[in-house]
Amino acid sequence: MNVIEVSNLRRVYNANVGAIRRSHKEIVAVDGISFHIEGGELFGLLGPNGAGKTTTVKMLTTMLIPTDGSIRILGLDVVRDAKKLRSRIGFIYGGERGLYWRLSGIDNLRYFGSLYHLDPQATRKRIPELLEMVGLSERGEEKVEGYSRGMKQRLHVARALLHDPEVLFLDEPTLGLDPVGARDLRTIIRNLQAENKTILLTTHYMLEADALCQRIAVINKGKIVAEGSPAELKSIVSDLSVIEVEVFGSVDDFLPTLRAQSFVDALSIENREQKQVLLIQSPAGAEAVSPLLGLLAGVRVGKVIVREPTLEDAYIRLVEEDV
Amino acid sequence: MFRTLNTNIRIFLQGAYLSYVALFAWIQPAHYLATKVMGPFFYMIFFVLMGAYISGRNDASFYVIGNAMQAAALSGIYGVSMSIDGDRWGGTLIYLFGTPANRLALFLGRAFMHLLDGILGVIIGLVWGVLIFKLDLSQTNFLALALVITTTVFSTAGMGLMLGCLGLITRNVMLVNNTIFFLLLVFSGANVEVSSLPAWAQTISSMVPLTRGIAAARLVIDGQSLAMVWPLLQGEFLVGVIYAAIGFLMFRQFEIIAIRRGTLEAF
Ligand SMILES: Nc1ncnc2c1ncn2[C@@H]1O[C@H](COP(=O)(O)OP(=O)(O)OP(=O)(O)O)[C@@H](O)[C@H]1O
Ligand SMILES: [Mg+2]
Repeated sequence: MNVIEVSNLRRVYNANVGAIRRSHKEIVAVDGISFHIEGGELFGLLGPNGAGKTTTVKMLTTMLIPTDGSIRILGLDVVRDAKKLRSRIGFIYGGERGLYWRLSGIDNLRYFGSLYHLDPQATRKRIPELLEMVGLSERGEEKVEGYSRGMKQRLHVARALLHDPEVLFLDEPTLGLDPVGARDLRTIIRNLQAENKTILLTTHYMLEADALCQRIAVINKGKIVAEGSPAELKSIVSDLSVIEVEVFGSVDDFLPTLRAQSFVDALSIENREQKQVLLIQSPAGAEAVSPLLGLLAGVRVGKVIVREPTLEDAYIRLVEEDV
Repeated sequence: MFRTLNTNIRIFLQGAYLSYVALFAWIQPAHYLATKVMGPFFYMIFFVLMGAYISGRNDASFYVIGNAMQAAALSGIYGVSMSIDGDRWGGTLIYLFGTPANRLALFLGRAFMHLLDGILGVIIGLVWGVLIFKLDLSQTNFLALALVITTTVFSTAGMGLMLGCLGLITRNVMLVNNTIFFLLLVFSGANVEVSSLPAWAQTISSMVPLTRGIAAARLVIDGQSLAMVWPLLQGEFLVGVIYAAIGFLMFRQFEIIAIRRGTLEAF
């Protein structure tokens, strides 16, 4: 059964431009997306900065009215039944803001417990369980201002779970965490799925989506450009090879020529310390290497590798395609 | 029915205590001492000396009572509005509105501790008056005085609720607060006889909190009965209710508009 059904969802912001002569500019943040999520599924919304992930999550969580289209969650309409829905969903918008820093972790949870109409006895029992689950048992009495970023984000998860919601929205839950912190949080998320919660997660880390999600929708510039299991998304690039070329110094001038070649399907650049790496997706595989190096005449080239594509390459291809 | 009522009372009370601790910037002891204990003392000295100099009247009690009562506005206006506006700064607004909590209980809860705090503030002011300016309380009906103080603090808190919402909308609560606080110093009659103000100013006086409360406090301390000041108290209470009601309408409207426009997190 579908727990979340989104159809033709659109959101346009009116932004003010200019301080003195004010004019309005329309920004289409979400541009007619549709998807559905089944009960117990962990669904990933993956996209680059500004793709429209947060805007989508805000609409899903009743905190932003759609310009067009509809969202039904647990059979309820997010606009008309907002109040009813709020006690059945939990959400975090990422980052460390949004907690009362001068209160202890426990007091933050107690306060939100009352706002979610929980019985005080039940809250008193539930808080230690939640703190345990997010690994904050020892620190619950301390003020949040003394928490590290990762602790604050984990407290947010506990807050979102207070009222035992059936559906959970996590907007970039691991944003800004170190690798260990991010891994801990991913373990927590995996455990939540084991409790049969329906979860929508947004991220721009490919590996995170791959590791956690059963299904992923890739969103770019407000549109869903691909949807499927991680394996299905990988198959988008299965007929291609990836050529990695290390270069030293600027290659910006060469990019238009390279992109124009028939054997270049997608091209992106990664910065690694002093060098840059050109990532070229090509159907020609190793055959493409020598014409490629020919085009880079005059550039100092380091290692060249031809390899199988990964999910990340599929992602790069999807979000680069319609640039 | 009872269950809902119970839940709302809990939102109110727990919000009262926790929001006070969480959102009130002056809660640190040094800050509290400076603004709430020493503040009224300096106001009082300043206006007693100034007032005596300008009006030639020798009667310190006029200024002492006026400024002790004005201390109500410190809690009512600054405290309450900070607690309403504070959620924007912490980024908690979007999580707060994401809950199904009753908005009225939430809203009024944020004012509650400041009521107690404001009452304490006025008492501190009166104690300064007694200690330094020999304020004479021998004729005072203390029950009546307590009622006068509570009502006055309530009405300033009503205005604070409205100003806090104005702060949510304008994003500049302190500018609004400072302006209103100093206007009150003039129009409320804390330091000038309202009757000596021009007619237009008297109209303003009649529409702001404090005016009737200060007048009532002077009468009660002077030995008048509760019955004598009862109409003033009713008026003061009504002013508070009106401002609080306007504030709550603004609060609801703010939530609706912010969710429509996507400005809940703008600051
Ligand atoms: N309140 C707003 N007013 C105007 N424009 C907005 C507002 N919020 C977002 N936008 C714009 O809408 C677009 C989508 O933004 P959104 O925050 O949804 O992206 P995102 O995918 O969450 O990005 P990120 O990965 O950076 O968090 C962006 O162009 C952004 O500038
Ligand atoms: Mg975002």
